[in-house]
Amino acid sequence: MSKALNEKPNAEPLPAAASAGVILNGRYLPPPEDKDGMIWVRTSALIHASAEDLYNMWRDVEGAPLWQEQIERVTRTGETTSHWVMRPANDDDKDKHRDNTIEWDCEILKDEPGRRIAWKSIGGESENAGEVVFEPAPGGRGTMVTVLQEFRMGKLASAWETIVGRNPKQAVVENLRHFKALAETGEIPRTQGQPHGPRGVIAGMKKSIYGEETVTPPGLNRKAS
Amino acid sequence: MKALCWMGSSKVEVHNVSDPTILNPHDAIIKVTRTAICGSDLHLYDGFIPTMEEGDILGHEFMGIVEETGKSVPNLKRGDRVVVPFTIACGNCEFCKKKIWSACDNTNPNAHLMEAAYGYSGSGLFGYSHMMGGYAGGQAQYVRVPFANVGPLKIESDLPDEKVLFLSDIFPTGYMAAENAQIQKNDTVAVWGCGPVGQFAIASAFMLGAARVIAIDRLPERLELARSIGAITVDYSEEDVSVLTALKDLTGGIGPDCCIDAVGLEAHSAQLQGIYDKVKTALMLETDRSSVLRQAIQSVRKGGTVSIPGVYGGLLDKVPFGAAFGKGITMKMGQTNMHNYMEPLLERIERGQIDPSYIISHRITLEQAPDMYKVWRDKKERVTKIVIDPWE
Repeated sequence: MSKALNEKPNAEPLPAAASAGVILNGRYLPPPEDKDGMIWVRTSALIHASAEDLYNMWRDVEGAPLWQEQIERVTRTGETTSHWVMRPANDDDKDKHRDNTIEWDCEILKDEPGRRIAWKSIGGESENAGEVVFEPAPGGRGTMVTVLQEFRMGKLASAWETIVGRNPKQAVVENLRHFKALAETGEIPRTQGQPHGPRGVIAGMKKSIYGEETVTPPGLNRKAS
Repeated sequence: MKALCWMGSSKVEVHNVSDPTILNPHDAIIKVTRTAICGSDLHLYDGFIPTMEEGDILGHEFMGIVEETGKSVPNLKRGDRVVVPFTIACGNCEFCKKKIWSACDNTNPNAHLMEAAYGYSGSGLFGYSHMMGGYAGGQAQYVRVPFANVGPLKIESDLPDEKVLFLSDIFPTGYMAAENAQIQKNDTVAVWGCGPVGQFAIASAFMLGAARVIAIDRLPERLELARSIGAITVDYSEEDVSVLTALKDLTGGIGPDCCIDAVGLEAHSAQLQGIYDKVKTALMLETDRSSVLRQAIQSVRKGGTVSIPGVYGGLLDKVPFGAAFGKGITMKMGQTNMHNYMEPLLERIERGQIDPSYIISHRITLEQAPDMYKVWRDKKERVTKIVIDPWE
C-alpha cells in the first residue's frame, strides 16, 4: 500500500535547491521579508518560450528600456557592466520631471546562459540587486521565470512612489508582466493614446491609482520564440 | 469621430473625440458599421461595475470594415468586413493555447487591478471598465482592435450586418451557456432571463439536443420571443406562480437537468429576498443581487448542472451551497471563450439554421443612444435588442 502511494509516474524529481529560492529540498520557501530599509520583491511568470530565448532577451541589457518601465537608456560599459538611466515620467508630460533622472552602474555577478543572471548596482543613485532564473515549467509547459529583486529605500524608491504612483515592488511585477507579453506576443498591451471623452476631476485622479500614468514601455516586434 | 461615453451612473453622452490610431503592431482600426447595446452594458449604466470612469467609450458588440492595420496583422487588409469578439486574446499564452481565450494573460494593461479583486486577471474587454483593461469601446464611429491577428472574424458572404453582428458576443455567449449546461440528448433545460443571451441559450439548447426548454421571465415581449422558438414559458411575476413549483410540475417532480442563469447580478425578484438583496446592495453589504442563482441551485435536479452566463462582479450573500453540495450539482460559468464559437456559429447562420436578427426591436442612431439606454434599462417600448448605426 505504502509503495503504491509512492508511485508517481508523472512526478518530476525533487529539486534540491532552486533558484531565487522558491523550493528548497522539496519545501516551498516564502519570499524574504523587508527589513532594515531593504525591500524585497519576488515574482514569477510562466512564459511560453524557451529558457535560452528568454535568457538572451533579458541578458541584452541595452534592450531593457523596451520592456522596463521608466528606464530611459542602458549603455553597455563592459562585458558585465552597464550604465542605467531612469526617468520617472508620466503619460501627460514626459519632460515635467526631468530633474528626477536617476543614474547608476550595474554589474552582472553570475551569468549562466539559459539559466540564471544575478546582478548588483555598483555605484550611483540607486542601490539594488537582483536575480532572474529561467527553468523549465513542470511537465514542460513553457519556462518559469522567477525574479528576485532587492532595493534600499532611497531616492529611487521615493521618486518612484511619490511621482509615478507605482511603488518599486509593483514596478518589478509589472516589468516581468511586460517581459512576458513581449516574449509571447511581440508587443506590450497598452491603452495610452487611445481616444476618450472629457475626463472629470475624479477620473483624472483615478488614472494615477490605476497605474495608467506610468508610461507603458514601447515593446517591439521581437517575439522570443 | 463621434463616440458614446460613460459619464457617470445613469449618464451616457455622445461626444466628439479624436479618432483612434494604431498603437501596437497587431492593432487594426475598424470603421464601425453596426454596434449594439448589450444587457451587460446596463450593469455599467447602473453603476454596478467598479472602475468605470467619466469619459470611457462604451460598447463591446460591434462589427465593421477594416480601415487600417498594424504591421503584424497578415490576416486582414483594408476593406475587409469583420465581426470583432468582445474579449481580446493574444493567441500565444498558456490560456489561449488551452482555448480558454477569455482568460488570456497578455491583453489586460491593468491586470494588477483585477488581480487584486479576483486573484488573477482575465483578458482585456472592450468598453468594460479599467479593471478589464480600460480599452475604448465600439459604440463609436471607429474603434481600435488590439490583436486583430487573432480575434476578428472575416465575413466573406453577403449576409447583412444584422444577421452576423451578434457573433460579437451574445450568440456565442448563449451558445457557450448551453454548452456549459452539459446538455444531453432529450434533457429538459430551464433558462432564467429571456433577454438576448437567454434567447440564444434557448435556441442553442435545442441545437444541442434538449427535448424541452422552459423559459422564465416577466416581460411579455420576451416570453413571446421565447415561445416563438419553441420554449414553454413561465411568467414569474404572475400571482400564484412559484418558479420552483412550476419547474417541478413541468419535469414530473425531478427538476430540470440543466439550469441556465442568463440574468446575473441585477436579478429582480417578486419575493421577500428581492427586497433583502436591494437593501443589502444599497448598503454595500453585498454587491450582487443573487435571487436567480439561488433559485437555479434550488431547482436543478440531483446531479444536474447550473450554467451561468449572466455576469457577476463581486460578493454574493445567502447562496444555498448546502443544496448545491447535497444534490451533487455541477456549476460552470465565466466570460465567453469567443474565439471557439464564432466560426462554427457563422456556419450555422450561413446554413440558415438560425437568423439571430429575430431579437432586434430597435434600430437607432448614436444620438438616440443615450435615451435608449434608459428605455433598455426600464424595459419600455417592448425593447428586446437595440442596434446602432453610428453613421446615420
